[in-house]
Amino acid sequence: MKPGRFAYCLAGSVDEALALLAEHGDEAKVLAGGQSLVPLLNMRLAQPQVLVDISKVEALTTTSVDQGLVRYGAATVHRRFEDGDVDDATGGLLRAAAGGIGYRAIRNRGTVGGSLAHADASAEWPVVMAASNASVQVRSASAQRAISARQFVTGFFSNALDDDELITEVCVPQLPADTTWGLHKFVRKLGEFSESLGVAILRWDGDVVSAADIWLGAARDVPVRATPLEERLVGTAQPIDVAEAEAALAGVLPAGGDAEARYRRHLHAVTLSRAVTDAITRRTA
Amino acid sequence: MTMAAADVVDVSLRVNGTTRSVHGIPARTNLADLLREHLGLTGTHLGCEHGVCGACTVQLDGQPVRSCIQLAAACDGAEVVTVEGLEGPAVDALRESFSAEHGLQCGFCTPGMLVSCHDIVTRCSDLDEDTAREELAGNLCRCTGYAGIVRAVMRARERLAGTTDVVASSGGGSS
Repeated sequence: MKPGRFAYCLAGSVDEALALLAEHGDEAKVLAGGQSLVPLLNMRLAQPQVLVDISKVEALTTTSVDQGLVRYGAATVHRRFEDGDVDDATGGLLRAAAGGIGYRAIRNRGTVGGSLAHADASAEWPVVMAASNASVQVRSASAQRAISARQFVTGFFSNALDDDELITEVCVPQLPADTTWGLHKFVRKLGEFSESLGVAILRWDGDVVSAADIWLGAARDVPVRATPLEERLVGTAQPIDVAEAEAALAGVLPAGGDAEARYRRHLHAVTLSRAVTDAITRRTA
Repeated sequence: MTMAAADVVDVSLRVNGTTRSVHGIPARTNLADLLREHLGLTGTHLGCEHGVCGACTVQLDGQPVRSCIQLAAACDGAEVVTVEGLEGPAVDALRESFSAEHGLQCGFCTPGMLVSCHDIVTRCSDLDEDTAREELAGNLCRCTGYAGIVRAVMRARERLAGTTDVVASSGGGSS
């Protein structure tokens, strides 16, 4: 359980990091908090030649509020969301989600950009950022672009970044006042990756939902949008029970399968139902 | 700080209040191995070596971290406190309560437990037993069934509640 050999370099700035990535291409990996990468190195599932440490680049740890967006530096650690040290664009969803990531010792080092780059669809940030319609700001030595969080995870542990690109910021739209959120995570042991993760963001027009974003984690290789549940919610304030959620998921997840597959679908229905109820309850409470 | 990628690195950091420098260690060295094998501080234990069991937890710049998934190279200039260097009223209370409440048997998890429990009793206001159990989820113990550890945390917390300035007792962590 020791990493293979690699070379290490500490980037002093974003430009330095980008120059190193341009130089080393796909032989390099970016090291932020290392809470996903170093376990992979230890197990030798990843064997990069070069690690580019960005954890001390100050420009990647600042947060700013700008025209209805909160821009989080990519190397902002989970603890700062959990403790409310940074503005929460969602009025509490980011804070609640961060508190569920791993353990305190992990949250002290792990970063929002690192978690997104790791692209595990059972982790909090890929699902929550998709539900929040965040955008991921990335730079290379020669260009910069924004990638929607909804397109950022492209498959199992795969992301939309090119080899020479670095996430610099994650920009989350501030939720309007008439919006509520709900979150439900199922794990057998606290701190593990989700077995199912439901996120609901509901926009209200008076007593009924006018728009809904319902996203599901740990169901596929990428976060899954539960469109049938979104359509069902618009125009009502009626919770969705587990049986109804399970039926609605038929349009989103593959049908049939063995007992394990049926159990998983049921579990996802439970977390989505509870996330929706959580969001409705926040409106009526 | 050089920008060139290097297979070996020099690391200078403060460990338990003393500045320590090591030269030419492999870049792949983790903080736990730096502490144990280069600095002789074998109080920090390595269990799973992938960030799950919590045995290797140490304070890095005042916060608990997993030293098995923390590269030593990334700790240049950092302030580290291991179980050998924890001191102050919170740790005194925990040592007494771990003994009194049977918070350990074989002792393998105890260094990481003490670092995590120190964080729990100093950080968590309104600590109750459920919160203590949740906070302890990241530290595995295969002997005690956790009952003794949870009692020890609550006993230490009660003892500290009678004292003032608990948070300021963070045993050498930088602030």
